[in-house]
Amino acid sequence: MLRRLLIALVTADIITVDRLTKRYGDLTAVDGISFSVRQGETFGILGPNGAGKTTTLEMIEGLKGITSGTAVLGGHDVAQQARTVKSLIGVQLQASSFFDGLNLKELIETFAALYGRTVDAMQLLRQVQLEEKWKSQVKELSGGQKQRLSIAVALVNDPKVLFLDEPTTGLDPQARRNLWDLISGIKRQGKTIILTTHYMEEAEVLCDRVAIMDHAKIVALDTPLGLIRQADVGSTVEFHVDRQPDLDALKQLPGVEQAVSENHAIRIITKQPEQTLPALFEFKAKAGLAVTNVQMHQATLEDVFLKLTGHLLRE
Amino acid sequence: MNTTAKLTSSSIKMFVRNRQAVFFTLFVPIVIMTIFGLLGFDNVPKIDVGVVQEPANQHVFSDQLKQISALDVHFGTEDDERARLADGDRAAVLLIPAAVDQRQLTPLSPATITVLKNVGKPQEAGTVVSLVRQMLDQATLAAAQAPTLFQLDVQEVNARNLKYIDFLLPGIVALAIMQMAVFSVAFVFVDYKEKGILKRLLATPMKPFQFVSANVITRLLVAVVQAAILIVVGVLVFKAHVIGSYWLLLPSVILGGVMFLGLGFTISGLAKTVEAVPAIANLVVFPMLFLGGTFFPLDIMPTWLQSIVQYLPLTYLSDALRSVMTESASFTAISHDLFWMLGWSAVLVFLANLTFGFEEKRV
Ligand SMILES: Nc1ncnc2c1ncn2[C@@H]1O[C@H](COP(=O)(O)OP(=O)(O)OP(=O)(O)O)[C@@H](O)[C@H]1O
Ligand SMILES: [Mg+2]
Repeated sequence: MLRRLLIALVTADIITVDRLTKRYGDLTAVDGISFSVRQGETFGILGPNGAGKTTTLEMIEGLKGITSGTAVLGGHDVAQQARTVKSLIGVQLQASSFFDGLNLKELIETFAALYGRTVDAMQLLRQVQLEEKWKSQVKELSGGQKQRLSIAVALVNDPKVLFLDEPTTGLDPQARRNLWDLISGIKRQGKTIILTTHYMEEAEVLCDRVAIMDHAKIVALDTPLGLIRQADVGSTVEFHVDRQPDLDALKQLPGVEQAVSENHAIRIITKQPEQTLPALFEFKAKAGLAVTNVQMHQATLEDVFLKLTGHLLRE
Repeated sequence: MNTTAKLTSSSIKMFVRNRQAVFFTLFVPIVIMTIFGLLGFDNVPKIDVGVVQEPANQHVFSDQLKQISALDVHFGTEDDERARLADGDRAAVLLIPAAVDQRQLTPLSPATITVLKNVGKPQEAGTVVSLVRQMLDQATLAAAQAPTLFQLDVQEVNARNLKYIDFLLPGIVALAIMQMAVFSVAFVFVDYKEKGILKRLLATPMKPFQFVSANVITRLLVAVVQAAILIVVGVLVFKAHVIGSYWLLLPSVILGGVMFLGLGFTISGLAKTVEAVPAIANLVVFPMLFLGGTFFPLDIMPTWLQSIVQYLPLTYLSDALRSVMTESASFTAISHDLFWMLGWSAVLVFLANLTFGFEEKRV
C-alpha cells in the first residue's frame, strides 16, 4: 500500500490534458487531444508546420483561451487559475524577443521581478554560458545565444515545468548540439520539460516520451523506442535515382510498406528487406534506372512518422 | 523587490538609453525654440522711405530723417524710387527740391516737398507724412523764432512687455510633452507587440496593469524633467521671463502627460505595425501642433476656427502653462483648463482601454 502510494507520488502526473480543443472559426487547430506528463519527465511533441504544437503549449501555459476540454498543471486548472499556473512554469515562446536598452543581467533581474523574486542573474547566465556577455544587449547576440538567453529567462522563477517551443529551429548543427547539452543538464536537475520540435533526432536524444502530432491530433504517444517498435516499421532502404521511377510499381514489390520520393532520393520502408532488395534490383534492371547510393538502416522516428501519417515530417 | 518599482526602474533605464527618445524629447523642442526664437517676431519692421534729392546738396534734411529709428531711408533717382514704390518696396517716396537745403527760405517763397504715398500701405505712409510734417513745422518755428508755449517731458518707465519668446516657451513645453507622451508610448508598445514581448510578459504572473503603470510613471517623470530642462534653457539661453510659480506648473504637466499618454496608448491599440504609428499619430497630433496655441495665440484665428480649437487637448495645456508662466495665474485661474484636461484624460484613457490590449487581436 505504502509502496504504491510512494510510486504514485514519485511518478505523479504534473500535467494532465483532457480532450483539449482549440478552434479558430472553422479551423480546428487542436482537436480533442489528451495526454499527461509525469513529474521529472522530458515530454516531446513532434509534428510538421501547422500541426497545432504551439497552440497546445500556449493553451497549457494559460496564454491562449481553451475552446473545450481541460488542462491541469500541478493540480491547478489552467482555465481557472492561470496566474497560479504561470507562476509555476517557465516559458520559451517560439517567436519572441526581449527588450532593447537593458543588458542581459538587468533583463534577467527585471523578469525575476515579474515573479516577485530576486535572482542571481550571473549564476543563471553562467548556466547558459552567457556569463561573459552579461553587459551585452539582446540585439548583439547570435541566434543560438538568444535561444540560450531565453532559456535562462525561462528559469528565473525556478519553475516546476519548463516549456520550450522549438528551441533549436533555425540553428546550425553545432549550436543545436550545444543547446541539447544545455537542455539535458536542466533535465538532470529534475525539472519537467515539455518541448516541441520538427527534428526526429532531437526528440530521440532529449525526450523520455514523444507525442506525434499531425493535423491537430496526436497520432501516437510512447517512448522513442516504443514508437519504433509499436509502429513495426521494419527497415528503410534509401537510394538515389537518375529519373523519377513509378512509385506505385515500387510499392508493389514484395515486403514494401511505403515508398516516397524526395527530389532524386527514394525511400522504401520494408518489413522483409531480404525479399525487397533482390526485387528492387530486378525492377531497376527492367526499368533501365541508374541507382546509386543505396543505404539501408534501422527505422527512426522519421519512418514512424511516415508510416503513421503517410507523409514526411518536413515537406 | 516590488514588481512595479523594479519595472519602473528598468523602464527608466530603457527610456534614457534610447537615443531616439531623448532626441525627440529634448533636442527637437530646443531646435524649434531656437528657430522660432531667432525669427524675432518682436522687432517691428522699419518703414521704407525713398528720398530723391540732388546728390551735390548738403543733406541737412535727409540727415535728420535718418535719425528717426522707425524709418529705413533709401536714396535714389526719381525713376528708380518710383519704380520701387510701384513694386511695393517703399511706403512713401519724398521728392526734395534743391531749395530745401540750399536756399535761405522765406515765408514768401516756401519750398515744396512732394510725398508719393503707397496706397497699399496707408498706415505706414501716413506715419511718414506726419513725421515729415512735424520736422518741417519745427524748422518753420525755429526759423520764425516763435516762443515755446508747451514742453514735452518724456519719462521712461519699465513696463513688463510680453516678448514672443515668453509666449513661445510655454507652448514649446506643452508641445514637447505631447510629442514625448504620444510617440514614445505608441512606437515602443507597438514594437513590443510586434516582437512578441508583450506576449512573453503575459506568460508570467505579472498583471498587465503593472507593466503599463511602470511605463506611465516613467513618462510622467520624463515629462517633469523635460519641462524643467526646457524652461531652464528658455530662461537662460533665450532670456524668456517666467513670473508665475514653478510649482503651479506641476499639475498641468502631470495632467497633460496623462492625457497624451492616454492618446499614445489608444494609438498603440489602433496601429498594427510600427510603420503605421506615425501615420495615425500625425493625423491627430499635426493639427494640434499648429492650432493648439503653441506658436501663435488663438485670437488671430477666425472665430469659427477658434470655437473648435479651444477644445483641443493641447490648447488647454498650452493655456494653463502660459497663464502661469506669463501672467502668474493662480490655481483657481487655471482650474478651468485643469478641469478640461481631466475630462480629456478620462476620455482618452477610456479609449485606450478599448483599443489597447496585450494580446494581438487576431480573429
Ligand atoms: N491566432 C490564430 N488565428 C487563426 N489561426 C491560427 C492562430 N494561431 C494558429 N492558427 C492556426 O492553427 C494551426 C496550428 O498552428 P500552430 O501554431 O499551433 O502550429 P505548430 O504546430 O506550432 O506549427 P509550427 O511548427 O509551424 O510552429 C495552424 O493552421 C495555424 O494557421
Ligand atoms: Mg509552433
